[in-house]
Amino acid sequence: MKKHLVILVVFALALAACGAQPTQAPGASTSPLPSTTQAAAGEPVELTFMAWGAPEELDVWQQIADGFHAINPNTTVKMDVSDWDSYWTKLDTLYAGGTPPDVFAMDAPMYLDWQSRGVLLNLQPYIDATPGFLDGFYPEPLKGYKLADGYYGLPRDFQTIVMFYNKDMLDAAGVAYPQQGWTWDDLRAMAKTLALDTNGDGKTEQWGFSCDLWDMELCWSEAIWSYGGDVISADYTKTLIGEPMARQAWQMFWDMIFTDKSMPDTIVASEFGGDLFQPGAVALYPMGHWAIPGYAGSGFNWDVAPMPSGPGGQVTSVNSAGFVVAQASKHPEAAWEFVKYALSADGQTRLTELGLAIPVLRSVAESTFLEQQVGGRSINQRVFLDAVAYAHLKPIFKGYTLWADAVGNGIAPIWSGEAELGPTLDLVVVDADKVLAEEN
Amino acid sequence: MGASGIKPLGRERFWVAVLLAPTLFGLVFGALGSVLATVILSLTHWDLLTPPTWAGLANYGKLFTDDKFVTALTNTVKFSAMYVPGVVAASLVVAILMNRKIRGVSVFRTFYFLPVVTSAVAAALVWQMIYGKETGLLNFILEKLGLAPVCWFCAKNALYSVVIVNIWGAVGEGMIIFLAGLQCIPREYYEAATVDGAGDWQRFWRITMPLITPSIFFQTLISTINAFQAYDYIYMLTRRGQGDSSVPVVVFSIYRNAFNFHRMGEASAQAIELAAIVVALMAFYFWLERRYVVYE
Repeated sequence: MKKHLVILVVFALALAACGAQPTQAPGASTSPLPSTTQAAAGEPVELTFMAWGAPEELDVWQQIADGFHAINPNTTVKMDVSDWDSYWTKLDTLYAGGTPPDVFAMDAPMYLDWQSRGVLLNLQPYIDATPGFLDGFYPEPLKGYKLADGYYGLPRDFQTIVMFYNKDMLDAAGVAYPQQGWTWDDLRAMAKTLALDTNGDGKTEQWGFSCDLWDMELCWSEAIWSYGGDVISADYTKTLIGEPMARQAWQMFWDMIFTDKSMPDTIVASEFGGDLFQPGAVALYPMGHWAIPGYAGSGFNWDVAPMPSGPGGQVTSVNSAGFVVAQASKHPEAAWEFVKYALSADGQTRLTELGLAIPVLRSVAESTFLEQQVGGRSINQRVFLDAVAYAHLKPIFKGYTLWADAVGNGIAPIWSGEAELGPTLDLVVVDADKVLAEEN
Repeated sequence: MGASGIKPLGRERFWVAVLLAPTLFGLVFGALGSVLATVILSLTHWDLLTPPTWAGLANYGKLFTDDKFVTALTNTVKFSAMYVPGVVAASLVVAILMNRKIRGVSVFRTFYFLPVVTSAVAAALVWQMIYGKETGLLNFILEKLGLAPVCWFCAKNALYSVVIVNIWGAVGEGMIIFLAGLQCIPREYYEAATVDGAGDWQRFWRITMPLITPSIFFQTLISTINAFQAYDYIYMLTRRGQGDSSVPVVVFSIYRNAFNFHRMGEASAQAIELAAIVVALMAFYFWLERRYVVYE
C-alpha cells in the first residue's frame, strides 16, 4: 500500500510540474513597446496563425501569408485553418499547453470572454506607432474591439444581415420584390402568400419565411430592435428580451409559425439540415454574406433586399470577425506586422476574394467588394454596404457564450411548439440574468 | 477456467519486463496519468487560458446545484435504463435467430453488423430522415396506416427516439458476443435434453439461458459503460444552434463545459462523477456475477 502512495505522489509532482508551464500571468507584464530590434537582427521568425473556415479558404490565407513573406522575408507564417467547432477546441488546447498561436481569428461576441482573461495582447502601442492606421476602417465593427485602454484586437471583415429572396418563388406568386422601406407587417403578409402546399398533401412544401431562432444574429435581434426594444441593457446586466416591445417581435414570429403557418417550426426546419434557402424550400430568408458562395451554385434566381422596418425603424445586425495576438506570443512585433499586412489594402483585397464577408477597409469594400460577382452571379452587393448605416452591433460582453446558451436553449421549446411564449420568456429572462450576475 | 498460465523463470522475467514496458508506460502515463490529472483539475478553477486556481470541493458542490448538469445526469440515467436492457435483449434475440442453420446466414449477420462499422455521423443523418416530422419515412408509414404522425424529436419523445437509434447501432456487436457464447454450449446437452423429451422452450430456459449468463453478464457490462459514454448519435440527432443539444447527456455536458464554456474544473468534476457511477455499477454487477452467473 505504501508503495502505491509513493507512486501517486510522484505522479502528482510530475503533473504539477507540467501544469506550471509558463503561461504568462494576466496583467503581469507591462505592454511591450513596439521596437524593430527583432526585425533588424534579421533572425528568421516563424509565426503561427489560426482561423476557422472551410478547407478551400486555406488557399486564400496562404496567399496572404505569401504576400506578407514577400515584404518581410525574415518572417514565415504557418497557416492553420479548421472548421468552427474544431477551431475553438484546438485553440483552447494550445492555450492550455502553453503554446498558443501568435495570431488568431476571433468572433467579436466572444472577444471579451477572451480579453477579460488577460490572454490577448494590447495592440494600442503598435497602433499608436502607426499613425492613421485605423482611418480607413468602418467605424461600426471597430467599435466592438475598443476598450478603455485600447484595442486588444482588430476586425478583419464583417457581416451585415440582409434579406435573401427567391426570385422564382416571388415571380410565380406575383409578389413584388421587397424594397427599401418595407415593413415586418409586409413581410408577414408576403410570407403568408408565399407559403404553399404544392402537391396538395396538406403539408407545406414551400415556406414563406424562415430563420434561425436559436442565435440572435439572423433575425430575432433585428426584429426586437426594429420593434423599438433591445436585447440586453447597455451595461450588460439585464436581459431585455422579455420587455413589451421585444414581446411584440416574438409574437410576430409566433404568429407566423403557429397562426399563419408560413414559417416552419424548428423541428421541421431542422429537417432541411440547417439551411432552407439553398434547397429552395423558403422564399424569404435573412442571411449574411458568408452564405453567398454556397448559394451561388443553386439552380434558381435570387437576390438580396434590405431588412424590413418596424415601429422602431429599420435595424439590422452587424458582427465582425477579427484578429487578435496572444499575450504570450514570443514575436509580438512580427505578429503585429502580419496583422497590419492582412488589414492593408493588399491583404483585404485577397480576403475579399473569399466572397464570405465585407472587408473592414472602406476603400476595398467600395471597390473590390462592390464589383464582386461570386460564382458569376451579379449580386446586389450595395445592399450589404448600405446596411451598415442602420445596423446595430451584435452585443459583445463578458459571459456572452453562457448567456447565449441560456437564452437560445431557453426559448427553443417555444419554437418547437412545446412551450407557451409568454411564461417561457419570463423564465428565460430570469435564467439569463442569473448568468449575467455570475459573470459580473 | 484458470487464469494462471505458465510463470516466467530466470532471464525470462527480464524479457517479460522489457516487452511489457512500452504498453505499461503508455497505460501508466496515458490512462492513469490522465485520470489523475482529471482528479487534480476537478479541484481547481481552470479556464484553459490562464493558470488554474485552487477550488477545493466547489466543483463537486456544483454537481448538485447546477440545473443543467442535473438535467444531463437525469437524461444519461434514463437513457441507460432503457438502452442497456434493450441492447442485451435485442442482441440475444438476433443472435439466437442467427445461430440457426438458415440459407445465407452470413449475409444476415453482416447486415446486423453493418451499423457497427458505419460512421455514426452518416447513420445519424439517415435516421434524421427517417424520424422527420413532415418529411420522415416513419411518419409517412404511420399516415399510410391511418395513424397520427409523431413528433419524434419533440422534448417528450426525443430521448426514446435516440435510444432506439443507439440500440440499433449496438445490436451487431452484442450479436457477435452472444453468437460466440451460444456456439460454446456443447451440442450434447441439447441432444441429451431432446432424448429426455425437452421441448424448444425448455431447452432454451434450462440449457441456453444458464449457460449464456457469462455472455449476458459481459454484454450488460459493456453496454452499461457504452450507455454512460454515449454521445455521437445523441448529439448528431438532437443538436441545435451553436453547439447546443435538446437531449444533453453527461458526456455532452463535460465537453461543453470544458471547451465551450471554459470551465475545465467543473467538466473534470462531472467526469469524475460519471466514472464513479460506472465504477459503482461495475461493483454491483460483479456482486451479481458471483450469485447468478454460471461458469461451466
